[in-house]
Amino acid sequence: MSDPLIQLRGVTKVYRRDQFEIPVLEGIDLDIAEGEFVALMGPSGSGKSTLLNLMAGVDSPTSGRIVVAGSDIAQLGEGELAPWRHRNVGFIFQFYNLIPVLTARENVELPLKLASLSRQDRRLKVETALELVGLADRMDHYPKQLSGGQKQRVAIARALVTAPTFLLADEPTGDLDAASASDVLDLLGQLNQEFQKTTVMVTHDPRAAERARVLYHLEKGQLQREHTGAV
Amino acid sequence: MFQLSLKNLLRNKRRTFLTGASVSLTLILVCLLGAVLTAMESAEGSADNRIVVRSAISLTFSLPESYWQRLQQMDHVLAVTPLNWFGGIYKDERPENFFAQFSCDPQTLLDVWPEYQIPQDQVATWRQERNSFICGQALADKYGWKIGDQIFIKGSIYPVDLTLTLRGIYTEPNAPSAEKSIYFHRKYLEEALGNPGQVGTFFLRIDSPDNVGTVVQHAEAMFENSEAQVRAETEKAFSLSFLEMLGNIRMFLGAIGAAIVVSLLFITANTMAMAARERTSEVAVLKTLGFRQGHVVRLVMFESLAVGLGGALVGLGLAYVLVRGAARGMENVFPIFGTLAVTPPVALLALGLGILIGLVSGGFPAWQAARLSIVDGLRKLA
Ligand SMILES: Nc1ncnc2c1ncn2[C@@H]1O[C@H](COP(=O)(O)OP(=O)(O)OP(=O)(O)O)[C@@H](O)[C@H]1O
Ligand SMILES: [Mg+2]
Repeated sequence: MSDPLIQLRGVTKVYRRDQFEIPVLEGIDLDIAEGEFVALMGPSGSGKSTLLNLMAGVDSPTSGRIVVAGSDIAQLGEGELAPWRHRNVGFIFQFYNLIPVLTARENVELPLKLASLSRQDRRLKVETALELVGLADRMDHYPKQLSGGQKQRVAIARALVTAPTFLLADEPTGDLDAASASDVLDLLGQLNQEFQKTTVMVTHDPRAAERARVLYHLEKGQLQREHTGAV
Repeated sequence: MFQLSLKNLLRNKRRTFLTGASVSLTLILVCLLGAVLTAMESAEGSADNRIVVRSAISLTFSLPESYWQRLQQMDHVLAVTPLNWFGGIYKDERPENFFAQFSCDPQTLLDVWPEYQIPQDQVATWRQERNSFICGQALADKYGWKIGDQIFIKGSIYPVDLTLTLRGIYTEPNAPSAEKSIYFHRKYLEEALGNPGQVGTFFLRIDSPDNVGTVVQHAEAMFENSEAQVRAETEKAFSLSFLEMLGNIRMFLGAIGAAIVVSLLFITANTMAMAARERTSEVAVLKTLGFRQGHVVRLVMFESLAVGLGGALVGLGLAYVLVRGAARGMENVFPIFGTLAVTPPVALLALGLGILIGLVSGGFPAWQAARLSIVDGLRKLA
């Protein structure tokens, strides 16, 4: 097997609040192969979001190495991390985090504004992404005119539009009803199967976890591989 | 990129409008104060090297004509001319028909006001004809007077009426407000009154502004023990004396202006900061998407600069209209305010303040946005 796409070695994270030290992650080792669909479960406060944030390069570990596609992002400063995130990470939030003043189309276009693309190219990419998530008819709607499930699909389109190396989703169905959640999970599964998009998803929902091929359990700072799912 | 800023501004239209309006209001105030201060400062038509000598008791008391000689003999004095304020009524008593009328000595008047430009032949005729007068170009334009025209002025301070023939028109390009006066022979007035030898004010031209202080002191000292003591002051101070009664009005106005600007700056800055704080998670999301510190700084700064600059431009426009209206309304009553205008330096100051308000009010939130850690920003949302 080739080198894993994402490789964590001895990753620790300790939060400091006043004099207290809160150890959240204690020596995490994790390999995620390209094209993998990984689910991450664990009790509330166990550090799932923290771990995801470290892989997304929005937070830095107290110690350890996080190697993504050959480069150790724990060594990068914010000035280098921002463009790195733009190239490699598609992040999906629990609460969608769409910009309320922008339409679906403009929200999806936002990350493309950082790339040197012509207006037409941007438009094409945005429309392709929105069609892919099934919102071709909602492009000019504002977030408040969309349902939760639709908002999350816009958010997925925004994560996809830059063709990132991998997708990270923090409880993407946490705020959705069962039907919408199922749609969103179908979409993520489809992206993984059809486009081999490497995906790491944090979830509390066992049904969501079932969609993944690999399931990890995080508790008391330790990571355990639970089972290998379907496929 | 800036589309997002603009849309953000439109998101809370009322707040954007109120913030912009408060900037506008501040700058209208700044412009008004600036215009008044500029007008007072320049006291246009008042040279730095002219001194007014008048009765120490009050402007309504006159001085003996014999002082003329004695003032003339003082060191540094180039020329002396007597001037009386006639204060009569032309046509009717409406303020727009009010202008300054002086009885003067035609032989020496122009020695004290050498900046008045008037053809020599007109001066010669005027000097010869006892019931003639000269007027400024602006006044001649206003009433359509031509050389040879006769005007009638009804006395209100003095119990005599004047019938005068126009014999000369002068211009003073540097001080348009000075073109709104007429000058006629004091001999003509004295004959009509039958009470010669009374002078309201003497105007002195001094060789250099540096010597003005000395001459003022000496003039006052010279008549210390005479029948009528005098007060000497610069022409500028003289023009302002009615305003100076209010105390040091310039400093007063300046201080109020500064206080308003500073307090508004804080209010605006606070509003902008609040607007930015509400969007902490938005900034975190942008950063997650790969926007750098520079991007978010520009985003926030653009917003506040747009409000600051927009407010400034609107304020400037309104101030311009207001000041023009005020100038029209007051120029005849207080000629010093006839020149009231939002001068380029005042306009620049206002514009600069608008930009400053934008920079300061955007600076702090921008700095916060740049420093914000993504994790903290996202956390606030959950
Ligand atoms: N910035 C921070 N400062 C201090 N403590 C923090 C900070 N961020 C997270 N923590 C702590 O780290 C622990 C892990 O937080 P994290 O958000 O990663 O948990 P989680 O597994 O995602 O929980 P949940 O399922 O509720 O989302 C928690 O105890 C939390 O209080
Ligand atoms: Mg979490």
